[in-house]
Amino acid sequence: MENKIEFKDILLPRDTHFGIVKFMTRSWSPKKTLNLDKEYLPQDIKDLVLKSTYLDSILDAECVRNGVSKHQLRKEVVNYVEEIAMDKRMHVIRWMGVFFLKVSFMMKIGIFVNEPAVLKLKETMGENPVLFLPTHRSYADFCLMTYLCYHYDIELPAVAAGMDFYTMAVVGQMMRETGAFYMRRTLAGAPLYSATLRHYVRTLVGHYGAPVEFFLEGTRSRSNKSLSPKYGMLAMTLLPYFAREVDDITIVPVNISYDRVMEQSLFAYEHLGVPKPKETTGGLIKALHTLNDNFGDIYINLGSPMSIKEYLGHPELSAETLKPRDLQKLTDEQMTHVQKLADHVVTLQQDCTVVTITNLLCIVLMDSLYRNKVLCLQEVESQIGWLIKVLRSLGANVFERDVKSGIERVLTVHRSMMRLDKEKRLRLVSSALMNMTNDVQRKMKGHILKAETMVNAVPIIQVQLYINPVLHYCVPSALVYLIASRGNILKAELYTEYTLFRKLLKHEFFHLEGIEEANFNKALEYCVHNGVLSSSGDVLANRSGDKLHNRSGDELHFLLQWAVIPALTTLFACAEVMRECKKCEHKRALKRVQEITELRKCHPYCLSLDAISNCLQGLVHAEALLKYKVKNDMIYEVVPAVMDRCHHLISSIIPKLRLVFDDSNPVIVHQKQRARL
Amino acid sequence: MTENVALLRTTTEPVPRKKNLSEKNIKKSPYDTAIKVKSAIPRKRQDLLKWYGWGYKDSMFKLKDQVATFTGTRYLIGGKSLPHFVQWVREKFDVDISKPPKIPPTPTVYPESRLPKEVREELEKVTLVSVDGMDRLIRAHGQTLNDMTHLRNNSFQRVPDAVIWPESHEQVQQIVNCATKYKFVLIPFGGGTSVSGSITCPAHETRPIVALDTSDMNSILWLDREQLLARVQAGIVGQDLEREMRARGFTVGHEPDSYEFSTLGGWVATRASGMKKNTYGNIEDLIVQTKVVTPKGVIEKSCCVPRMSCGPDWEHIVMGSEGCLGVVTEVTLKIRPLPSIVRYGSLVFPDWESGFHFEREVARQRLQPSSIRLMDNEQFRFGHALKMETSWGGVLLDGLKKLYITKIKGFDPLKLCVVTLLMEGNLEQVTERETQLNNIAARFGGIPGGAKNGEIGYTLTFVIAYIRDLALEYNIVAESFETSVPWERTLTLCRNTKRRVITECRKRNVTHYLISCRLTQTYDAGCCIYFYFGFNSAGCADALRTYEEIEEAARDEIIACGGSISHHHGVGKLRKKWYTQTVSETGRRLLFAAKQALDPDNIFALANMELDRGLVSKL
Repeated sequence: MENKIEFKDILLPRDTHFGIVKFMTRSWSPKKTLNLDKEYLPQDIKDLVLKSTYLDSILDAECVRNGVSKHQLRKEVVNYVEEIAMDKRMHVIRWMGVFFLKVSFMMKIGIFVNEPAVLKLKETMGENPVLFLPTHRSYADFCLMTYLCYHYDIELPAVAAGMDFYTMAVVGQMMRETGAFYMRRTLAGAPLYSATLRHYVRTLVGHYGAPVEFFLEGTRSRSNKSLSPKYGMLAMTLLPYFAREVDDITIVPVNISYDRVMEQSLFAYEHLGVPKPKETTGGLIKALHTLNDNFGDIYINLGSPMSIKEYLGHPELSAETLKPRDLQKLTDEQMTHVQKLADHVVTLQQDCTVVTITNLLCIVLMDSLYRNKVLCLQEVESQIGWLIKVLRSLGANVFERDVKSGIERVLTVHRSMMRLDKEKRLRLVSSALMNMTNDVQRKMKGHILKAETMVNAVPIIQVQLYINPVLHYCVPSALVYLIASRGNILKAELYTEYTLFRKLLKHEFFHLEGIEEANFNKALEYCVHNGVLSSSGDVLANRSGDKLHNRSGDELHFLLQWAVIPALTTLFACAEVMRECKKCEHKRALKRVQEITELRKCHPYCLSLDAISNCLQGLVHAEALLKYKVKNDMIYEVVPAVMDRCHHLISSIIPKLRLVFDDSNPVIVHQKQRARL
Repeated sequence: MTENVALLRTTTEPVPRKKNLSEKNIKKSPYDTAIKVKSAIPRKRQDLLKWYGWGYKDSMFKLKDQVATFTGTRYLIGGKSLPHFVQWVREKFDVDISKPPKIPPTPTVYPESRLPKEVREELEKVTLVSVDGMDRLIRAHGQTLNDMTHLRNNSFQRVPDAVIWPESHEQVQQIVNCATKYKFVLIPFGGGTSVSGSITCPAHETRPIVALDTSDMNSILWLDREQLLARVQAGIVGQDLEREMRARGFTVGHEPDSYEFSTLGGWVATRASGMKKNTYGNIEDLIVQTKVVTPKGVIEKSCCVPRMSCGPDWEHIVMGSEGCLGVVTEVTLKIRPLPSIVRYGSLVFPDWESGFHFEREVARQRLQPSSIRLMDNEQFRFGHALKMETSWGGVLLDGLKKLYITKIKGFDPLKLCVVTLLMEGNLEQVTERETQLNNIAARFGGIPGGAKNGEIGYTLTFVIAYIRDLALEYNIVAESFETSVPWERTLTLCRNTKRRVITECRKRNVTHYLISCRLTQTYDAGCCIYFYFGFNSAGCADALRTYEEIEEAARDEIIACGGSISHHHGVGKLRKKWYTQTVSETGRRLLFAAKQALDPDNIFALANMELDRGLVSKL
C-alpha cells in the first residue's frame, strides 16, 4: 500500500488578483471520454431516448396493460425525459464556477487532489465511457468532481442527483445545466418512469462524451462510514457494456474526505432522531452565511481506474442477445456480477480513504475521553505521531504535511467541537443546552432524549463521525483481539467467532464476506506481530499480562479495546431489547434501544438510530432475528436459540471499561449559553 | 383499390391479471415489453366455431326454397343470396336438395378420460386443464375428410384425455418434463386446420394423450419498428397476429387460406405457404429465429441473424416437423410496413394453356405481384355460381362483359380461364406492375377482366372451405389436395391427374363429380397446383374409402408426373405412403435419428411421416 501520496491544492492558484474571473472566463476545450464519429449533445441524447425501440415497445405494452392511448403515454415519457435529462450551458457553468470559487474562499477551504492519478486517467480517456464513483459524505460532493474536471480540462461529468435538488427553485435548473440529471429514489410502481430512466442512463453512458458520476451508496452517509451500495444505478450504467454497445467501461473509485463536513452537526442531530430539514433554495441562501468560517481541507483521492472488461471478463452469450439490442436487459447472472462489482468498488473507495489530522486528533480526543484523562498538547502531538505509525502499518494512507501546524489548523476549523484550554490541554466542548421545543420533540423519530443527554451526545457523536472513516482499518484486528482476550482460544474457533461478529456488524462496518479469511489472517498476524496477542501453536492469548510490554503496546491494547465499543454496545443493547420483547416493530425497537442506552449512560454513539438500525440488520443477517413486513411495518422476531448465543458472545467480549460521558469526565468543558435548535 | 389509411383499431384490451392460477407461477418474465393479445378465438372454441365442420358457427351455406344463401356477416357474400348456385349444384352433382340436410347431432357420450389423477394434479400446478368431452373431441382432429367423417359419426378411436393451455415457454418446458416423467403423449394443437391428418389422435396409442392447446401463448413479446422484426409467442392465431400488426402499421403478410384459424406455430410445423408469398415469402423466409421445447431440451440458435453458414440449419428440422419433435414456443418474424395501396385485378384467357404460359412468363421475368393465381374453367364456373345477386346495373354490366368476352373476343365459355391478381405497393409501383402484367397477358391472348372479379376471387378463397360442410350434408364428399411441380411438367401433370381421377370415378360407378385445378403459386423453378375433387357419394357403400382410394390414385399419378408429395399441406398421416420415396431411405433414417435425439420416448407420438415405422422396427 502506498503511504505517501502527492496531493496538490487546486484552489491555491486561483487565490490571486482576478484569479477567479480569469480562470472562469478562459477558453475551455475539455477532453472527452468517448470519441465517437458523431458527437452527441445533451439534446441528441434526449432524442435518441425518445425514439428508441425500447421505449416504443414499452409504450405499446403499457397501452395494452392499462388502456391509455399511446399518444398520451408518449407525452408522459417526454415529461419524464425533460425531468431527468442533463444539459450543458457554458455560461451557467462559468457563473457557477465563479460562485463556487467565491464560496470556497469564504469557507477558507483547500481542495487537495492526487494530481498524477487525474493526469494519468485523462491521458487514457477517449476510448470508452468512464464512471466516477465517489463516496458521498456531504452535499459538497456534488460540486467537487465537476470543479475538478473543469480544472483539469475534462468534460464535465453528468451527475446523478436526487429529486431534492430538482425541486429547488433556480438551483435545480442551474445544476442541470452544469450536468446534473435527476432520478427519483423509488422506481417501484412506476414502470414507465423506470423504463425511461433506465434507457436515458444507458444512452447517456453509451453516447455522451463525458464521465458519468453517481454515488454508489445512494445517499450521504450520515456516519461518515461506507454504506452498502445500491445496485440499480450501476446496473443501468453497465448495461451498454453487457449489450456490447461499448467495448469497456472504466470505473474510477473516488474518496472524498473532509476536514470538516458542512453537515456535521445536522448529521449528529439526525443520528439522535432529529429529522433533517428539507432542501430549499431559501434554506441554502440562509445557510450561506454560516459558510463564512473555516472548513479546513478537502481531499479528493482518485483510485486506480478499473476496466470492467478486465474485472468481469468478456460478457458471456445469453438469451438476451436474441432481443434487439435496445431491449436487452441484464440476466440474473449478470446482475449478480454487478452486485459483486458494486461491493468491490465500495472497498476500493475505502482503500482510497485519506486519513487527515482531523481524524487523528479526534481519535486522540476520544481516547482521552475513554481514559478520563486530559492530554496536554505535547502528549497529543506524540499520540498523533504514534497513531500515524499504527494506521500506516494497518494500511492506511495518512496525509500529513506537518503535524504541529496541522493540529493548529484543525483546532481552528473545529473550535466549536474541541479546544485547548488555558493549560494547553485538549478538551471537548459540549454543545449548548438546547431548548427542545414541543415542535422538535414531536418530529423526533426515536425516543425523546433529555436535553442534558443531547448536550454531550452531540459533540461526542461529531467526534465519532471523524473516527468512523478510519475504523475499517482496525475493526478486524480489534475483533480478533477482543475475542482472544477472553481467554485462550484455538485459531479455528477464533475464526468462527470472528466471522459471526463480522456478520453481526456487517451493516455497521461494510466489508466483503468473500475475502474475510484473508482479512482475518492479516488481523491476527498484526496482533501477534505487534505483541498484543501471543500465539503458541494454534492457541492464541492476550499478552497484556506479560511483563514485556512497553508503552506503545499498552496504547495499542487500549485502542483495540475501544475501537469497537460503540458498535458492540449498540449490538448488545439491540440483542437485549429484542430478547426482552421477542417480537416488535422496527420503530419500537429503535426507541427502546435509545431509551436503555440513555438510561445506562452508554457511549452516546449508541444512541444513533443509524447504528441501532445497522445492528438490528446485523442480527437479522446472523439469523438471530427474523424480519418480515406486516402492512407498512417492519417486524423483527427473535430466533431464541441463535439470539441467546449471540447475546452471550457479545457480552463476553465487550471490554469492561469504566466509561463516563457526562460532565464528570474531565475532558469535557462546558458551554454556558443556551441555544435553540 | 383499398387504401390502408385508417389503421384498424387494435383489440388488445387491458388484461386483468389472473389471480390464483398464475400467482404461483409469476416468475420475472424476460420480456417487459410483452403484449398479451385478446384472441378472436375464445378458449372454448366451440362457443364460436362449429364443432362438426369448418369455421364460424354463424357462417354457412344454406339452401332454402331452392335458393342458396350464405349466413352471417363475416364475409363479403354474407347474408346475400346466390341465385346461380342451386342450378350449378344440381347440374354438377345431381343432388336432391329438397331433402333435409344431414346435420349431425351434438354428441352426448365421450370416451372416458384416461388421464390419471396424479398427473392431472401435477399439470394443474402449471396450467389450466380440461377433461370436458367436447373440449377433447374438437381437439382430436384436423380438417381432412377422414376427420370430418369420424367427427360427424363420433367414431374416433381415440381422442385426447385432457386439454391444457400453457401461457409461456417456461410452462411448456415444465409440461414436457412432466410428460417425460409420467409417460403421457403430448399433441401440440394450434388452430386444428391440418389437412394431412397430422394432429389426428393416433388410434392405437395406449398412453394418456394430452392436447397442448397453444392458443394462450399469443403475446407479442417485442416489436422492433427499426429492424422490422417481431418476437411472438407461437400460439398466436393468424388473424390476431395480422390485426395487431396492422394496428401498428405493419403486416406479416403470411396468409394461408386457413389464416383465420391457424397459428404461427402450426405454420412452422407444417412449412406453411401464404397467398402473398411473392412479396412476403413463405414461412421459412419469414422466420428469423425459433425456440422449440423438445423432451431433450430447448433447441434454438443463439443469434438473431439474417443468414448463417454453420452446418445444416436445425431450424429446418423444426420446420415441417409436424408436431413430432416438440413444441414451437417463440418465433422471431420479419414484419413489413403496410403497403399504401392494395389493388385487385383479373385477366381472362381463352384457355388453361394460354393462362399457364402467361404465368410462366411472369415468373420468368420475376414480375409476380403479391399473389397471382390461374383458375381452370371448372373453377371459373364454380366462382360464377357463387356470384351474388346484383342490381340490374350490375347485371347489365356483367352481360356486356360476357358479350364482349364470348362474342367479340370469341372465347369459349366452357374453356376460358381466369387469372386473379393481388398487387401491393405505392401507387406508382402498383400501376407500373399492372401495365407490365397486362402487356404480357396480351401476348398470350389474355384481356383484363376487372378488379371486382379479382377481389371476389380472393374473398371466395376463405368461403370455399365452408362448402364442404354443406356438401357433406347432401352426401357429396369433397376435398382438396395440392402439389408442387416443375414448369415443364405442369401441363401434363394437370391433364393426367384429372384424367386419372375421372377414370377412377368411372371404375367405381361414380357418375357425378367435379375435378378442377388452379395454379396458386409460382416460383423460378415451378409452381403449385391445387386440385379440388368432389363427388356425389349416394351410390357408394363407403364414401370415405372411395374418396381415399381415388385421392391415392391421384397422388400416385402426381408423383409419377414429377410432382411432389405436398407443396404446403404437409405429409401427416395421409401421405406417409410417399414419404420415404420422396426423401430416400437414408433421408428417412435421418428423420428417425432426429426423433431419437430429440424425443426418444416418443412423447410427441403423432407418428407422422412414417415415424411410426421406425419405432415399430425398434420395438
